Amino acid sequence: MIAAGIMLGIINGTQSAVLDSLTAGADKAVELAATLCGSYLLWMGLINIAKRAGLTEKLSKMLRRPLSLLMPNIGDAAAPVALNLSANFLGIANAATPFGIEAMKRLAELNGKKTAPSKEICMFLALNASAVELLPTSVIAVRSACGSADPYSIVLPTFISSLFAAAAAIAACKLFEEIRR
Amino acid sequence: MNYIIPVGLILLLIYATIKRVNCYEAFVEGAADAFPTLIKLLPNLAAMLAAISIFRSSGAVEILSRLSAPVLEALGIPKELSTLLILRPFSGSGALALLSDVLNTYGADGFIGLAASVCVGSTETIFYTMTVYCGAAGIKNGGYALPAALIGSLAGAVSGIALVKILLLM
Repeated sequence: MIAAGIMLGIINGTQSAVLDSLTAGADKAVELAATLCGSYLLWMGLINIAKRAGLTEKLSKMLRRPLSLLMPNIGDAAAPVALNLSANFLGIANAATPFGIEAMKRLAELNGKKTAPSKEICMFLALNASAVELLPTSVIAVRSACGSADPYSIVLPTFISSLFAAAAAIAACKLFEEIRR
Repeated sequence: MNYIIPVGLILLLIYATIKRVNCYEAFVEGAADAFPTLIKLLPNLAAMLAAISIFRSSGAVEILSRLSAPVLEALGIPKELSTLLILRPFSGSGALALLSDVLNTYGADGFIGLAASVCVGSTETIFYTMTVYCGAAGIKNGGYALPAALIGSLAGAVSGIALVKILLLM
C-alpha cells in the first residue's frame, strides 16, 4: 500500500506532499496510542476489580451459551466479547476498544500458537466491522452542524441497515469458513 | 443513556467492596497488565496509519472511487457517494469531514445527503479496527475477516440507500 501510494505520488507530481503525509501518519500513531492509553489502562483496571470480585466469570458463564452460536469455542473471552459488543451498541467508543483488545487477546490464547486466525477471531473481527449502534451520534452532530431540518431522521434507516451489514458479514464469515475447510 | 456508565461503576465498586476486594490494588494491577499490550500495538499503528495517510494524499482514493463508481451505481449507490464509501473503511474522521462537505453541497435532507448520512452511520473504520485488534492479539492479519467485513459494509450501504428511499422519501 505504501509503495503504491508513493508511485502514484510520483506519477501525479506530488511526491513531497506524499512523503510529508508518511511522517504525519506515523506521528498520528503515537498520538492515537497516547489517547488510547488513558482509557485502556482505566478500563483494564476496572475490569480487574470486577474479575477479583468474581463478576467477569459470572458474566462469561451467563453469556457463553448465546455467544457460542456465533463463536463455538469462546471460553474466557465471552465476558470481554459481550462487553465490547454492548459498548459498541451504546456508542461508548472509548470503552469498546479496550474490551475488544482484551477479547482478541483471549481468543488468540485459545487459538494457541497457530498463525492463522481461528474462526472465532474472524467472526469477532467481522462483528466489529459493522456499526450496530443505537444512536450514530457523530453523524447526527455533523447533520445538525450542516443545517439539517431533522438531524435524527436517519436513525431508524441507519440502525436497520447496520443490522443488514452485520448479518451479511456473519453470513460471509460462515461461507468463507466452509470454503477454508 | 448518560447514566449507564456512572451507575454501573458505582454498583461495581460497591459489589467489589462487599466481596472484600482491595479496589485500588486490583485497579493498579489490571492497568499494569494492560501496558505491555499498548507498547506492542504502537508499531502496528505506525505502519497502518502511515499507509492510510499516504493512500489518501497520493490521490489513490480518487482513482479508486472513479474506478468503482460504475460498479457502485449498478448496485444503486449514487456516484456522489463513491469517494465517501471508499474513504470510510480507512478513516473515521476523514469520512465525517467528507460527509460534512457532501451535506453542504447537496443539502442535508435531500436524497444524496440522507443516503450519505446513513452510509457513514451504518459502516465502520474496518482497516483501523483490524489493525488495532490484530496487533493486540499478535496476529499478522485477520484472514477472511477482512473480505467478510467489506461485504458487510457494502450490504449496509446498499440496504441503507434502499431504506432511505422507502422510509424517508416515500
